[in-house]
Amino acid sequence: MGGKRKHSDDGEGAKGGDEGNNSISKKMKKSEILPSMIKNKEKRSAEHAKLKHQKKVEKRKKLKARDAAEKRALELGEEPPPKMIPRTIENTREADETVCKPDDEELFAGNDADEFSSILKQDQIPKILITTCRFNSTRGPAFISELLSIIPNAHYYKRGTYDLKKIVEYAKNKDFTSIIVVHTNRREPDALLIMGLPDGPTAHFKLSSLILRKDIKNHGNPTSHKPELVLNNFTTRLGHRIGRLIQSLFPQDPNFRGRRVVTFHNQRDFVFFRHHRYIFETKEDKQSDSKDKKAKDAKGENTPKEKVVARLQECGPRFTLKLMSLQHGTFDTKGGEYEWAHKPEMDTSRRRFFL
Amino acid sequence: MPRTTALECPGCPPLRALTFDALGLIKVIEARGKEGGVPKVVEKWGDPDASKSLLAASIDDRKTEPLLAVARKSGAVEILNPVSGELCCAVTNGGDANVRPDDDAIVGLHLFRKNRMDSASRSCILFTCTTKGNASVRSFEITNSPTDSGSSKTWKVSASGNILCSQVDGSENYSLFGGKNVEVNMWDLKEGTKIWTAKPPPKNSLGIFTPTCFTSVAFLSKDDHRKFVAGTNNHQVRLYDISAQRRPVISFDFRETPIKAVTEDLDGHTVYIGNGCGDLASVDIRTGKLLGCFLGKCSGSIRSIARHPEHPVIASCGLDSYLRIWDIKTRQLLSAVFLKQHLTKVVFDTNFTEEEIVHPVTNSQVRESEIGIEMQTLDDEEKPPVKRKKSSKEKESKNKVVNKDGGTKKSKSRKRSKGVEAEIADDE
Repeated sequence: MGGKRKHSDDGEGAKGGDEGNNSISKKMKKSEILPSMIKNKEKRSAEHAKLKHQKKVEKRKKLKARDAAEKRALELGEEPPPKMIPRTIENTREADETVCKPDDEELFAGNDADEFSSILKQDQIPKILITTCRFNSTRGPAFISELLSIIPNAHYYKRGTYDLKKIVEYAKNKDFTSIIVVHTNRREPDALLIMGLPDGPTAHFKLSSLILRKDIKNHGNPTSHKPELVLNNFTTRLGHRIGRLIQSLFPQDPNFRGRRVVTFHNQRDFVFFRHHRYIFETKEDKQSDSKDKKAKDAKGENTPKEKVVARLQECGPRFTLKLMSLQHGTFDTKGGEYEWAHKPEMDTSRRRFFL
Repeated sequence: MPRTTALECPGCPPLRALTFDALGLIKVIEARGKEGGVPKVVEKWGDPDASKSLLAASIDDRKTEPLLAVARKSGAVEILNPVSGELCCAVTNGGDANVRPDDDAIVGLHLFRKNRMDSASRSCILFTCTTKGNASVRSFEITNSPTDSGSSKTWKVSASGNILCSQVDGSENYSLFGGKNVEVNMWDLKEGTKIWTAKPPPKNSLGIFTPTCFTSVAFLSKDDHRKFVAGTNNHQVRLYDISAQRRPVISFDFRETPIKAVTEDLDGHTVYIGNGCGDLASVDIRTGKLLGCFLGKCSGSIRSIARHPEHPVIASCGLDSYLRIWDIKTRQLLSAVFLKQHLTKVVFDTNFTEEEIVHPVTNSQVRESEIGIEMQTLDDEEKPPVKRKKSSKEKESKNKVVNKDGGTKKSKSRKRSKGVEAEIADDE
């Protein structure tokens, strides 16, 4: 009971004060009563609602003050106050010494020496073999047909009952440069194995949230031009290696007429795949017409304001990859050496990323 | 506040390690400071070139005139000075000229210590073994133009299969070879004859025979060539005793990926094993019991483990391109150095002491010795020979002490192992 009374006093004080956060926080500190300490539910919820409303008001005030300050600074011609950068998981990631720096000469020497350099220097044209796991149905073939439309010079071979090692041998003899194996579980593709040939590494990805082309609204149909490739945020040593592995799947001379873009975007170790068609359209700038008439007068009326707008149309599947392991050499589960393998003891922090 | 779990590394005792990587670079890592020195890369030798990738290395870290031998992918063996990194001489592998070096890479390399000790002349003996099974022992003078001084011996270890590992024992009289489809076999280096071959384990209950593939071998102690440990591709660690039987005395499994590195401890019964998935563990080989694992978010295959002869420290390196230094008592990670390339081998330079600045002294010594040994002896007649004798004596005495220790321990261990054998025999 005593607590309750105290609390009601506190509320009155807050009402009386009404100056803002200072008095309230002082009082709160003095009495240290939180809404959760009140036992009566109605009172508690009322108190909580009040507190929440106050916080909201404060926040709005703060925002307004900031906007005003910025506007004033602009009017006075001063430097506006620096914008606050929100703290996200990405920009507070754990310090990683393996993140590649652009002035690292050893990195480039290492890149020149690795397995993909002959493809990336265009000495060799990538030729991809796509196959599946033993049992493959429904979404698997559909996904593969879309992969075939994305990756130029890709050939689908039925898996049959061959061992993967035999297939690797066959592909080596036929001068393939990479193998992609789509693994299906319960009629749903769930893993992707990308292998560099003849002795490149083998990356095992978990594949999730696959959306096929026909399930995307307003999707476009890609042309057969060689696509452009966008690789985002592959920063560490391992990331670079994965990026180069993916890069070696695509021809290095995109056909810009096709206006096709294939994107591999890495965020928090998940690699998001998107496939777009873009177009640059020149539009008359409506906003400038309506708003800045004065400016127009000043400049001269005979130049109609034109603005280039890029528009995107998504085509092709959407999916997400997560690296499970990177093996040295071609596929070998028994005698293989791992360059990197995911282990549960690595998952002790939300802010540790490997790519 | 963002919660981050940074690795707190207590730092390691003063040491100097050399790492060899797939890009042909040799990096020198030094840690200074009494307690908690942070190891740093202090020197980098060589130019990045994938064709000169380093495959094997062997160090002879004497007090005077230390030498380091490295084998490259191109088939060349180079002899360097491990203190300054300057090239003493380079020899091409004297195999068939028509065999491409890519196919016949050097897997085993050993720089003899014993014979160099006796003769003060600038010659050295080198043992090499290639994948195809061409083993050779060659001796040559260290001059700028390598000249074979005649006494070279080459033989074929195996007709079929690939040799993946080879090792020379502490007394430098015997060597071990093992590999894919090659059972472990021991050769007498003086005679050049095979003295022992292992027998494959019997078929299992289903009648399935697993093909032999040895990936690493190590002698259990320096002065006993009879006992050695081998790691196989199907994640088995085996202890062989050539005086007992041709089948392994003890054999046990370790995790799921192939054993890639095996190194013995100085005490003669602890063995460090590293596998293809980055797991590093120490095992008491007398019982085959796991003592404990070295945990530290290591995720790349371990290619090489080195035990420091004085400090209780081991170093491991591998495909994750970190050099990691561990305490063997607590099995804690002392520190890790990121070296950017796939590492193939790590060795310790034991003559490193932190106070004394090593480089100029030894450099001058080397230079003196290069100018001429006679000069040296004339100039300071007493010092260098005494020093040398002293050092050699010291070494001998040390060895003796070690022998004693090892002997006593070994006798115990032998008893114990015999007991284990008896048990095993009982079991059988």
